[in-house]
Amino acid sequence: MISVAIPTGTLLEGSLDLLRRAGVVDLGPEEIGRKLLVEREGLRVVLVKPADVPAYVDHGSADLGIAGKDQLWESAGGHYELLDLGFGACRLIVAVPDASPLADPRTWPPALRVGTKYGQATARYMAGLGQRVEIVELHGSVELAPLVGLVDAIVDLTQTGRTLRENRLRIVAEVACSTARLIANQASLKTRTGAVQALVTRIREVL
Amino acid sequence: MRDTQEAVLAEMRRWGYRYVVTPTLERLEVLALGLDADVRRRLFKLMDADGSVLAVVGERTVSVARLVAGALRAAPLPLRLCYAGPVLTNDPGRFTRRREAYQVGAELVGASGPVADAEVIALAVRCLDAAGLRRYQVDVGHSEFFLGLLDGLALPADVEPAVRAALAQRDFVALEALLAGTPLRSAEHELLLRFPALRGDASILDAAGALVRNRRSERALEELARVHELLRAHGLGAAVSLDLGAIRDFDYYTGVIFEGYGPDVGRSLAQGGRYDGLLADFGRPAPATGFMIHLDLMGEVLRRSGVARGLTRLDAAVAWSGAGLEEALRLASSLRMFGMRAVVDTQPRRLGAALEWRTALGASHLVHAGGGRTVAWAPAGAAGVRRLPAAHVVARLAERGR
Repeated sequence: MISVAIPTGTLLEGSLDLLRRAGVVDLGPEEIGRKLLVEREGLRVVLVKPADVPAYVDHGSADLGIAGKDQLWESAGGHYELLDLGFGACRLIVAVPDASPLADPRTWPPALRVGTKYGQATARYMAGLGQRVEIVELHGSVELAPLVGLVDAIVDLTQTGRTLRENRLRIVAEVACSTARLIANQASLKTRTGAVQALVTRIREVL
Repeated sequence: MRDTQEAVLAEMRRWGYRYVVTPTLERLEVLALGLDADVRRRLFKLMDADGSVLAVVGERTVSVARLVAGALRAAPLPLRLCYAGPVLTNDPGRFTRRREAYQVGAELVGASGPVADAEVIALAVRCLDAAGLRRYQVDVGHSEFFLGLLDGLALPADVEPAVRAALAQRDFVALEALLAGTPLRSAEHELLLRFPALRGDASILDAAGALVRNRRSERALEELARVHELLRAHGLGAAVSLDLGAIRDFDYYTGVIFEGYGPDVGRSLAQGGRYDGLLADFGRPAPATGFMIHLDLMGEVLRRSGVARGLTRLDAAVAWSGAGLEEALRLASSLRMFGMRAVVDTQPRRLGAALEWRTALGASHLVHAGGGRTVAWAPAGAAGVRRLPAAHVVARLAERGR
């Protein structure tokens, strides 16, 4: 049996739609949301938190997984990243309060204090710029941190930019773009080559 | 795990591999000769009294190489060596918090070419067998195949490191984007993008051979074909596949590489390959190939598939009461001389209590000496107790033990 881990949240509908179009499995969000684990026609679909998809796939509890690229930045796992699925696009950006004097990287202070949920991606990006950075790892409401003076800037995901505007923040730099990706366990590609590759091919064909 | 280790080492000895003990602590500068920066960073380090930095070994191949170039430098090549022991690394993985692992491995130093490659792969497969693994899969690839493709593509100097990095991270989305930006599209581009799917039986070699246009990859395919033939002669067929898309540390490996996978485990259980460059770093240039098995991972797989031997089974529990102690000690000695595992009770116990004690110990047979001319014997797997002279019991047990 092949198992696929799909994420709750904003990528759920796109994931289910993709599996339906590829003729893999036809599942409604209510059904999977209620059961978390559905087995049908030799396929097991498990619904997990977006940040947990790489864990399920890396450990081999799922052969394949659908994960936002933003989740993969933070974990150098042992999985294969096979396909860009195209949906769930968002940007990882650097934002500062409207009132801040900071603009593009040339205006940043020698050591920038940044609040983010994406410590690794932020560190890599800042290192690439040669910018010294002090990272404050936050777990929620990142937008709040610069407003109360905890940090100079935030690095966060945005889709439409609305939350940023509502919190009177403006984008000063783009770190990376994220879309949903199909990832595969490395051992699954070896021990269940036929079945896993067949599934990957079906998904590739409807992209 | 000890049993598994013994079984694997015994198999290695049958192939003429000598057991060597390598140090657990080495000077960092010595290990650094054979390890790249990233691996070095993950080592546990400590300071010696004289201020030099020591590191706990993160794998033992480097230590074996050092041994071959040092203490064994007078020994003629090829050398067949095996080892077992714990290794420590700061694992960067977000999901694996395990720092200590146990590895058993073998190295064939001083022999190049497909015959040596096939020997080490065959040995690895036999070791998986010996460990008791019933279902497994060994994938054989060649690092030169990939390097040849990279040469053939003649990528711009600023793109090549990114292509290598993307492959090392198995990020095919990034790889496709990078290759899409290069001017030329060729069959070799396609091969690179198809990397995870370049796997199968000998026919994959022909399929790939029709697509590659560079000598380096072609030579790799020829070598693989030869190794595959030799593996068949070793009696290995179904368990071995060819995987041209095997992605490993291409700076370290210089030829045939392989990995062993078990059922329902997301990582490889065994890995190895040819590393002809390492020995030169220690001043005794020599071709070398080898592999190691992750023993603790193997233990998990065996446990899950129900093959795991638990604690070593005892053959006999020897109980006594009254004046029976000396008889019990004599009897246990005789049993051990016949190679059986026997435990003598440390306190007197009546026969009824002794039967319960046997069950608690998990021993097959119970023998109870009460000081009389006969002893009581409760055979394995049979109800009831028989009374026989001690020597007869030993003889019966020794017979069954055959």
